[in-house]
Amino acid sequence: MLAETPHAQKLGLALGGSASVTEDQKAGLIEVRVEPKFLMDVSKKLKELGFDHCVSVTAVDYPRENYMDVIWHVSSYSNEELGNKLVSLTVRISRDEPRVGSLVGVWESSLFSERETHEMFGVEFEGHPDLRPLLLPEELLGKWPLRKDFILPKRRSDLFRKGGAQP
Amino acid sequence: MSNITTAPFTYESLSQLTMKEGVLELQVGPAHAGSGHMRILVWVEGDTVVKVDPDIGFVHRGVEKLSEDRLYVKAIPIVERPNLVDTVNANLGYIIALEKLLGLEAPPRAQYIRVITAEISRIISHLYGIAIYGIFMGSSTVFMWALADREPFIDIMEELTGARLTYSHIIPGGVRWDLPKDFGERLEVALKYLEGRVSDYEKIWMNNPVVRARAEGVGILSGAKATELGVVGPNLRASGVKCDVRKCAPYSVYSDFDFDVPTFKEGDSYARLLIRVEEIKQSISILRQALKNIPEGKIIYEDYYKRMTPLMKSIYDEKGRVKFTSLLTSLSPPKGQSFSRVEGGRGEIFFYLISDGTKNPYRFRVVTPSFRNLPYFTHVMPGHKLADVPVIYGSIDYFPPEADRR
Amino acid sequence: MSILYFIPAQWLPLIESGFYALIFPGFVTILLLAFFIIWFERKAAARVQMRYGPLWVSRKTGGLIQLLADMIRFSFQEFIVPEGVDFLPFIFLPGFLLAFAVLPTIFIPIGPDYARIFPSSYTLLLASAFTLVIPIYLIVVGWAADNKFSFIGALREGYLLISYEVPYLLVIASAFLLYRTLDLVKIVNIQAASVPGIILNPVAAIVYLLVVIRSTGRVPYDIVEADSELIFGPYTEYSSLMFGFVMGVPYIELYGYSLLFATLFLGGWIPLTGAGFVGGLIIPGIVTFVKAVLVMCLLVFLRAVYPRYKLDKAIKTGWTWVLYLAFVSLLISAFVSYLI
Repeated sequence: MLAETPHAQKLGLALGGSASVTEDQKAGLIEVRVEPKFLMDVSKKLKELGFDHCVSVTAVDYPRENYMDVIWHVSSYSNEELGNKLVSLTVRISRDEPRVGSLVGVWESSLFSERETHEMFGVEFEGHPDLRPLLLPEELLGKWPLRKDFILPKRRSDLFRKGGAQP
Repeated sequence: MSNITTAPFTYESLSQLTMKEGVLELQVGPAHAGSGHMRILVWVEGDTVVKVDPDIGFVHRGVEKLSEDRLYVKAIPIVERPNLVDTVNANLGYIIALEKLLGLEAPPRAQYIRVITAEISRIISHLYGIAIYGIFMGSSTVFMWALADREPFIDIMEELTGARLTYSHIIPGGVRWDLPKDFGERLEVALKYLEGRVSDYEKIWMNNPVVRARAEGVGILSGAKATELGVVGPNLRASGVKCDVRKCAPYSVYSDFDFDVPTFKEGDSYARLLIRVEEIKQSISILRQALKNIPEGKIIYEDYYKRMTPLMKSIYDEKGRVKFTSLLTSLSPPKGQSFSRVEGGRGEIFFYLISDGTKNPYRFRVVTPSFRNLPYFTHVMPGHKLADVPVIYGSIDYFPPEADRR
Repeated sequence: MSILYFIPAQWLPLIESGFYALIFPGFVTILLLAFFIIWFERKAAARVQMRYGPLWVSRKTGGLIQLLADMIRFSFQEFIVPEGVDFLPFIFLPGFLLAFAVLPTIFIPIGPDYARIFPSSYTLLLASAFTLVIPIYLIVVGWAADNKFSFIGALREGYLLISYEVPYLLVIASAFLLYRTLDLVKIVNIQAASVPGIILNPVAAIVYLLVVIRSTGRVPYDIVEADSELIFGPYTEYSSLMFGFVMGVPYIELYGYSLLFATLFLGGWIPLTGAGFVGGLIIPGIVTFVKAVLVMCLLVFLRAVYPRYKLDKAIKTGWTWVLYLAFVSLLISAFVSYLI
């Protein structure tokens, strides 16, 4: 499914060798994977190409493999041709020390999303101007609730189903 | 777990933002007539706002985590809840992402029904936005009018789905109910009524000298800055950036329709009011086209229909109503990822799903338009007068539960 | 006259002025009128807004005594005095506000035989002076409540007070110039001899109404109370019955202003006239009263039409257009007074 389509090749050439570009044809998503050290360069190049705003910043936690993917989804308002494309800029970081450079300097629109990702996953965005918690209540701070090892308490209905006796 | 420390979330850490003497810190919310379910920390110097810090999360419920803990279909009502006045578009966005993951496509009639309900939902959402704008500017008349004018559409949706706001009408592979027989006539009556009302709004609200005095030139966000801040939806288009997901990355059957994307170049609060009215007009046109061109056929994916029990099939044939098959309730899409972008009433709703082949989503990401419109607080409000804060807040149609992912 | 037969003659003036101050057009009328006008405001707005408005408290009258029900509810609520307020001003100012809102009505003659009550030839001056006391108390309330929103509300009141009081005084001056007297009874008599003041000097009437909307905080000038910005302005910290008082004060103020408007510009008790307490004060007074109530109804109806105006623009308007119009009204007064 991941393929070196013409779009992806074009983008890959434009971004230079530091990024691997593939296109998930089924999803219609262009994936750019970079090493953390090239992140800033690649993101700047993406912005120069016309990807001018950040739709979402998120992370995906893989506790077994002990890494996290931090993903910036970027798209374009100003360039109509790029407007229907969505590029995901993915960085794979270690779960033990989840640090990655902040891209607020490149895409100002990622400010609140990075704050959210920080409090949900514990990803430290280096250079982010304002990493205060955003959404979570105090008792959940520092527990990184969207990580996979944060298990939700079982729901009442499940409890009853297992116990069986209670109404 | 990790050696990262977070600054403690205390009131002191927030008030450190107070910069100099003579600056008054106002906590607008969470119990305030002009805040909604959030707190806006406003620092005023004299009557001029120098800094605004939106403190959101008061109604955060963790939609993402809840959905990751549940079956795919059970996420439908969850994603609807945040966008309470615009549930169809949130539902549609999630289903499009899920259908991409499953590799199926709903039949054309179902797609048309989706577009019809989505546009009705957009009208409801815009009317709600106008209503909130009205009450924030102190006009109870427009508040009452706009809220009341949602009713014909809510009634129509209630007849179709049985619920007033949370319809859960769109399911993987189609929709749950076919249109009732007199749906077209009823909708036409409601559209005619709304068209008449829109001209009333123009008389009492848009051309009201006080409204113009308060909204024109207030809260200006230029197109370039709007792009940089990544704001979405009508607010973006009011700043002159012509980007509507329905046009620039069409989903469902929106490419079949002929409609304009209205834009204004002023980018002020008044333009953000006008654009909602213009979009209501466009939605009326889309609804008329959809009613005219809606094809006959099934409202559920062919394969799912085949797998129904005979009883379910008979119910479907008689009443046009899809019963939940066991297949729907235990969807396990193949490994992979998908995303969807839909144009909700307030702007682009973004869904990103990762499946690991099990019955629950591995990663469920939703970004709602109000969350992306947060820069209006931090970047647009400073420099204005205190009285402009509710005007700008109302004009961006900000909905705290949506931004919080309630 | 049979009842009055038993009352010593020297008590009569006392009883008459007591009746004037306490019953009509004074305190009791004001309270009843507050019921009516609040009901009217809500009902008229509801009519425009496709609602019923107050309905279920006494269904037959269309919810006329809704305010009574509200007041009973208020009286059973806890009266919260927050820590840090200036206790005495905070507690007593609503009462003062209420009293000073009622006071101007005593100095406004509603009938030609007003001299029986208060023989003064400076009634215009007295009435307008007492209408100007309330804003000062409002500012004190805003400071005493120890709340940032109250404080900002009081500041707003101060700004608006100054920018709209100057036009107000100019209008009073132009009325003086027009009629060449400060005695309201004489003013009405002059109008009876010629035409009502609103025709003699329409500009002054317009400025007067604008200032009334401003001082009583009617929409679009409810800037001081602005609920989406300041919760309830200077009154933010009041609860229970005190809230009921401060909510009612603007309506009572409005009544005083409207009575003054009726005598200054609408010809007061014209076409009726007469002599004696009943024939010369109460019965013509009903005409004045009805005119004042109509003005009040007009002003409260604005709520259904306009949103709130903005502070800086309101101040600017006050110091520019309203002031210019006030000066124009002075010129018109001088010209017209030269003619008549």
